[in-house]
Amino acid sequence: MRNNNFYKFLIVFMSTISLCGCWDIKDINKRSIPLVMGISKEDDEEYRLTLQIPIPKSNNQISRIVTEKGESVASVLGKIRTNSENAVDFSQIQLIVIQKNLANNQRELRSLIKFLMGSEEIPSRALVAITDDNVDKVLSNINDKLGVNASAIYDYFNKGVGWAPELLNTPIWEVYRSPFLSTKDIAVPAVRAGKDTVLVFEGSEILRKGKLIDRISPEESQFINMFQNKNVKGKIENLGVATVMITNSSVQNKTSMKNKKPQVLSDLNLKINILERKEGTTNNRIRKELERVTEKRFYDLLKQTQSSHTDIFGFGQQFHHLISYHELKDWRNDYYPNLRVNFEVHANME
Amino acid sequence: MTQRIQIVIVFILIQLSIGYLVYPNLIYALTKTAHWEVVMFQGFLQWILIWIYIKGLNYFPENDVIDIYLKMGRWATIIILTPFVINLIALVAFNIRLHTEVIISVFLPRTPYWSILILLYFISVYTAIKGLGTIFRSSIFIFLIVIPLVLFNIFSSVINFDIHNVTPAWNSPARFLFNIKFFYLLGFSSFLFLGFMASKTKLSFRQLFIACASVTLFFLSVVYIPLFIFGQDTVVTLTNPFLEAMDSVEISWFSFNRQTMFFGLSLVGLVIVANSVMLWMISQVMRKIVTSRRVKSSYWIIAFSVISFVFAFFVPNQSLVEKFFLWSTGAQAYSMIVIPFTIFIYGFLSKRGVIRYEK
Repeated sequence: MRNNNFYKFLIVFMSTISLCGCWDIKDINKRSIPLVMGISKEDDEEYRLTLQIPIPKSNNQISRIVTEKGESVASVLGKIRTNSENAVDFSQIQLIVIQKNLANNQRELRSLIKFLMGSEEIPSRALVAITDDNVDKVLSNINDKLGVNASAIYDYFNKGVGWAPELLNTPIWEVYRSPFLSTKDIAVPAVRAGKDTVLVFEGSEILRKGKLIDRISPEESQFINMFQNKNVKGKIENLGVATVMITNSSVQNKTSMKNKKPQVLSDLNLKINILERKEGTTNNRIRKELERVTEKRFYDLLKQTQSSHTDIFGFGQQFHHLISYHELKDWRNDYYPNLRVNFEVHANME
Repeated sequence: MTQRIQIVIVFILIQLSIGYLVYPNLIYALTKTAHWEVVMFQGFLQWILIWIYIKGLNYFPENDVIDIYLKMGRWATIIILTPFVINLIALVAFNIRLHTEVIISVFLPRTPYWSILILLYFISVYTAIKGLGTIFRSSIFIFLIVIPLVLFNIFSSVINFDIHNVTPAWNSPARFLFNIKFFYLLGFSSFLFLGFMASKTKLSFRQLFIACASVTLFFLSVVYIPLFIFGQDTVVTLTNPFLEAMDSVEISWFSFNRQTMFFGLSLVGLVIVANSVMLWMISQVMRKIVTSRRVKSSYWIIAFSVISFVFAFFVPNQSLVEKFFLWSTGAQAYSMIVIPFTIFIYGFLSKRGVIRYEK
């Protein structure tokens, strides 16, 4: 009996071996955890990778910038690992800033996104942004500003509902998905280093099958959020005669086919709150003005995207039940330029 | 009654374990639109097979599959069950290796695979040696831990859904039936263990009906979550679509920022149950075929698990693992068709024979 107890004790004791857990564990204070990664390519030769690594001291307010060059992104990541003082853990990267000259090259961009998606360490939900500036400048800009937290660049994109309705969030997996979707294109936010703030939002770059097509303004990128039925609460609109804030928005689309041409009846319902007005302006006039401005903006953007065969609104997604799977493959070229959208805005007072 | 619930639970867990990984890839390869048709059809076939199987087993109360075959004759048993055992060994090996690869890619990137392999083997062999009661009891624990995680994974992924990524369609159903991959698919519905456990409790099809329905629902979710998030054309380019779908989910207010962790943890629990049941089945077959007093059933489990460990250890890379896993499920599909039908026919004939004999 005593012998049996001894074995039981031994087994319980042995189970503590598994407490030390995973193989080659590295404690969190012995890791460097980069938050932002900047990628650029100089002279079509070498990739240049910049990491922003917060230093966990003094209220999280400082971070360091590490730059390395190499033939491919993977090899640069390896080099940074080798040369770093600590173990570099890429699993917490939240934002990837791509310099525009690299993004302009369709093939490079696609292989880059494919690498980021396939990488087991870099999470595929990290956001993507494109910048005209030098990537180093964007990332190091954070250190020049007073009282800015080291996670500022990430926080910039994650303000939450109602704070920055124009801002787009585009994670890696959406960029990866976009060339495969035949009925929807995506927009990637474009930023640059600001003078007073860390980043300035400049609008969005439209990607058509992974190729940069055009840049649209922040007002226009708001439409994209709207058509994905993301709430654009908090958007402030200046109409000349008044300034209004949009407190709620919803889009309803009805799709139909007429003579083999796609048609969409689209109703945008806006709830507004009037912040200021010129004297003597009636509520009705403000509503009419807002409806007119919004409709005009939409039709301009629609015309622009139809001429470039880029379905940025994802209208084609709603034709899956009307057009067969194989025909939809040609949605961008055959159907979308002929798409008729009847867009109506209905503004209502809060 | 409790034992019936336990059998149902084990049934669900095994299905989840096998269905999580390769199953969606197979479906995407089979059809481009109307995936639900394939899933439902497979579920339907599984219902029919289980119905036949249970009908056949009920001709012989208090007997399990091996006893029935032994009644047919010793050689019939060896001819039918030996390939089944070999198949099970392969299935144990590649199932565990496949899960190991995924677990490594989810949360243990720097751990060598053999250490995880040993850990998983050790636990499932231990459970199998302890016998059916332990398998049942541990499966209830694992069920209570895993099912909330699975449900949480399913519901949390809703935030990335774009319903328009899936074409609502109705295919002319004949095409995928003639694809060899559909045969593989059939092998994913592992219900044969029911016949090994049913010796004491009599199962009725009605009790399994809910389990079958929920498993079919689960398979639908496994197939459709990546589809809703990525769309058909993207999904075929990914090696582990379900894993990527989980990885894309971001809930900023939630304290755990990686959903894939839950997925990985539930895989650990599931693979242990599935493998211990398979090892236990092997020991049952061997114990009854080789009637030697000196060899205990635990020796069989240890011997065969070592064989399958060697198999699992020496597969060089992941794509081969997947290929072998598919082959072994295909072979499993063969015994899934043969065993229920032979038992049903034998049961039917012997019952008739008895009636004639009495007249």
